[in-house]
Amino acid sequence: MIVENTQTQMRKGILEYCILSIIAKGETYASDIIAELKKAQLLVVEGTLYPLLTRLKNNGLLTYNWVESTSGPPRKYYVLANEGRLVLEQLDKTWKELEFAVHIAIGDRIPPQAAEPGNE
Amino acid sequence: MNKTIIININGIVFHIEEDAYEILKNYMTDVKRHFLNSDDSLEITTDIENRVAEMFSELLATENKQVIVEQDVNTVINQMGRVEDFDAIYEDNSSTTIDADVYNNTGGRRLFRDPDDHLISGVCAGIADYFNIQPIWIRLAFALSFFFFGSGLLLYIILWIVIPQAVTRADRMAMKGQKLNLQGFKDNLEEELSAVKNNLSNMHNQARPTVYKLRDFIGDLLMHIHLFFMGAGKIIIKIIGFAVMLAMFGAAIALIAFLVAVTGFHQVPNGLFPFSIIANEHADRIYLAAFITAFLPVVTIIVVIISVLFNTRSINRTVAALLLIVWLCSVGFLIGFAVNVASHFRSSGKISQIVNLKATPDNIYYLKLSDVKYLTHDDSLRLDVKNNFHNMIINNDDNHSEEPNNVSISIVKSDVDHPVMLETFMAQGYDDADALLNAHNTNYIFNQKADILSFDNRLRRPENSPWHDEHVDITLQVPLNAKVIIDQELSYRVQLNGVDVNGCKDLNKQENATSATFIMLDNGLQCKVDTVVITKTPAQIDSIRRINNAKTIARLQAQVDSALMADSVQKHR
Repeated sequence: MIVENTQTQMRKGILEYCILSIIAKGETYASDIIAELKKAQLLVVEGTLYPLLTRLKNNGLLTYNWVESTSGPPRKYYVLANEGRLVLEQLDKTWKELEFAVHIAIGDRIPPQAAEPGNE
Repeated sequence: MNKTIIININGIVFHIEEDAYEILKNYMTDVKRHFLNSDDSLEITTDIENRVAEMFSELLATENKQVIVEQDVNTVINQMGRVEDFDAIYEDNSSTTIDADVYNNTGGRRLFRDPDDHLISGVCAGIADYFNIQPIWIRLAFALSFFFFGSGLLLYIILWIVIPQAVTRADRMAMKGQKLNLQGFKDNLEEELSAVKNNLSNMHNQARPTVYKLRDFIGDLLMHIHLFFMGAGKIIIKIIGFAVMLAMFGAAIALIAFLVAVTGFHQVPNGLFPFSIIANEHADRIYLAAFITAFLPVVTIIVVIISVLFNTRSINRTVAALLLIVWLCSVGFLIGFAVNVASHFRSSGKISQIVNLKATPDNIYYLKLSDVKYLTHDDSLRLDVKNNFHNMIINNDDNHSEEPNNVSISIVKSDVDHPVMLETFMAQGYDDADALLNAHNTNYIFNQKADILSFDNRLRRPENSPWHDEHVDITLQVPLNAKVIIDQELSYRVQLNGVDVNGCKDLNKQENATSATFIMLDNGLQCKVDTVVITKTPAQIDSIRRINNAKTIARLQAQVDSALMADSVQKHR
């Protein structure tokens, strides 16, 4: 249970950073974000994403545009707001620090390639 | 071949199979409930719905079909994720983790009304699920508590309103304390689907989506009352219905017996109120109308109960209409008769008559209740009283409580030196003349034998004549200082201002006496307190006994003397 908790906490923090990073690449649709996250094995179900996006949008980090779709209802395409851009820069910095800290802490215990679970 | 439903997800129309719809609906309800406490619940659920619609559209396009089936829904749900998979990540406060733990714990049951195992509304089953015991014990407890002034009923209704019904699969699992994870869902789903498939015909109430719309209490109540009557309540209703039917049979038999008695044998309870006012020339018709008025509803109730209990066809329409007309006619007849009777009470008449009584030398009068049977002229002739009952008294054995309040006697002071009786006859009638005639047609029997005044128990009216509230007020005027000895039997007829007969007996310490003595003074009739009786000393009693003994001896001596004398006369001859 403790292990699960820690995992959840770690993922939770990283997830938002990853989402912002993905959106930073350009106008993104929710299912595209999901596809990327699934590839990174960070998120498995789409349902989790919508509350996160809504929260980020309400905090002013994101905005979205309605785009007509050929199949189904109009889609929301998310873009990074100015504030989001600033936050992302700060997070980038924090991530560098964290990466360094974790790298120091782990030391030689784990070989670098094994730390990446996405390589298959 | 499967039934499909047309649904609309945010403006896009889909054809979906019924089973698939149920799963989708439950899923969306779970999702909505999950985000209910979030500020952005509407936006989030709309996003999810839109995405679901989009996925459906894609599925239909790629597989080139028109109807969404169960498998499609499951695919979409798997991609979107179950609510319990949402939990862990999106919330950012630490309490969520604890909540999730509790929610995932098998011990964490939640209280719902159980729609799958309900007798009325599932309250008892839900409580039983919550405590993980058999519902029968909760039901038994409630059933018993109904008898404590219905307190259980009130509690039940409150619980019914307060406790939500387990609508979704997540609810039901939380209710039964099953683990809320994907495997649990899968097991539960499979179990439920097979159950639904097996019992689809029986469980139409569960499976029909329209039923889920009856979420408001009234709809729920009606549905459950209906189910209750169809199910367990049916037996109770049958028992009650059977009891009512038996009672009605009894009533019907009693009514028939009554009709036969009054019309066939003329066994009418004499003088009782409703019978005494019925004029005899119409009596049979009135009794028949009354019988029909009472009998037809009784029969109707019996027929209705039988048709409900045994599912038989109800009575023919024409016959029913005919019976209704007959019933209305007899009711109309009775009302007409009642109006007619009422009209005979419109006017009142009063006749007074003075009877001079003979004075007694010692100024003592005994007031008694007449014990002689009153015979009409016809009766006297038939019995040939003069020859057959010569010198006999035919006693009054009339025990009927016939119009008991039509004689009242009051005693006042006379201005002359002999007693006078003032009889005032009163009666009601159609008009003044009729009322006077009714008053005049009465007959009150009174006679005086020396100092004994015999009063009759009742005022007689002609045979076969209806009751017109005939009554007589008798005012007996007795001279000053007259001793009036009133018999116990007459006590409730005599109106006394002060002490009554029983009170007077008590005053004289003669509780067992059959009469009480009064005396007429200037201020009216007073109880005569016999000071001699109260103050008798043993010596006085002794002297009275001695005197009595002496009298007895003297009498015996006289008898002996006369016998001796007769003897001597015979010898002398």
